[in-house]
Amino acid sequence: MGGSPGGPIDKDQHEVEDWERLADAINSALGGRGLQTTDELRRSIESLEDYRNLSYYERWAAATEKLLIEKGVLSGDEIDERAAEIRRRWEGP
Amino acid sequence: MSDHHLHEETGGTTSPYAARIRAIEALLLEKGVLTEPEVQDNISYMEARSPANGARLVARAWVDPDFKELLLSDGKAAASELGMDPEHPAEFIVVENTPELHNLIVCTLCSCYPRAILGRPPDWYKSFAYRSRAVREPRAVMREFGFEPPEGVEVIVHDSTADARYMVLPMRPPGTENLSEDELAELVTRDSLVGVNVPRL
Amino acid sequence: MTFEPGDRVRVLPSEKPGHVRTPAYLKGKTGWVESLIGAFPNPEEIAYGLSGRPERPLYKVCFRQTDLWDDYAGPAEDRLYADIYEHWLEPERGST
Repeated sequence: MGGSPGGPIDKDQHEVEDWERLADAINSALGGRGLQTTDELRRSIESLEDYRNLSYYERWAAATEKLLIEKGVLSGDEIDERAAEIRRRWEGP
Repeated sequence: MSDHHLHEETGGTTSPYAARIRAIEALLLEKGVLTEPEVQDNISYMEARSPANGARLVARAWVDPDFKELLLSDGKAAASELGMDPEHPAEFIVVENTPELHNLIVCTLCSCYPRAILGRPPDWYKSFAYRSRAVREPRAVMREFGFEPPEGVEVIVHDSTADARYMVLPMRPPGTENLSEDELAELVTRDSLVGVNVPRL
Repeated sequence: MTFEPGDRVRVLPSEKPGHVRTPAYLKGKTGWVESLIGAFPNPEEIAYGLSGRPERPLYKVCFRQTDLWDDYAGPAEDRLYADIYEHWLEPERGST
């Protein structure tokens, strides 16, 4: 990335969303418990196919998910299922 | 759970990752991998951190030469002395601007930033444009922020490639001799702590 | 410690796969050791759940910007510092 061509720097600041705060906090909490290291998170982020298309916290969320699945803490299926339930709840009756 | 309406619940996000991270949270709590107070504590920890911490460190260094020496030799100890509780970075290194040189901080690999002191970095710091260009054309980048180092000043870029996190100690602007420490702190912008700009009266 | 402050060093042009903390733009470039930061477990191994031990020396290495970029738009005195692990460095060959 360093030294690659780049355009003007966009100085807009998006308002941090609650889910982004949560992504941040989950990573810190997992780190605090010794369940995940910064280096593992970085490696996981770098390995994301969608790296260029995801926002900063989307990369964190995707990378954390990947690590939790890799370590057998959670399964992809249960995350999918629960995420779908949550979305249904948000979308309302 | 928090008692205000989450952005996601009021339709305020379009990211598919919002539901996924909420799902992950719920599952981790149910399985006892994490506890709710722990998650809340981590949220609060980051919310409590902001560039104001950096401004306080700088203002104190401007008025107290011994503190300045501590800040430059052991950043974490200096931050602790001002009650900032910098748990996480392996190293917190403060680099000083002088009349001869101006420092600029970047993390080309992943946007590392001294979050335990300053809180979350701005979006521009995390952008591909900044990460790509800061190392190769620091002067053009600084110009976009409205800063041009004076003639003869060297520009030094620090790429935070390992576990040290960096912050700039800007020079105290001229004409500030009569300001109190709190007033000095107000001059110290977040951008000046990264090095894309300098504090001005 | 293999390197002393002031030693001229070259960053290995290794295309080692996996997680590395040596940026591509520094590979094959020559600079000099500013200081030894300390010794730490190797992040390239920690990234895969290994202990990263034995610890490896980490150096602050200084480069002239004009040595990094052919089109550098600034004075020859401008510099860049990066924190590089010892196993990514070799002594510079030949004279400056």
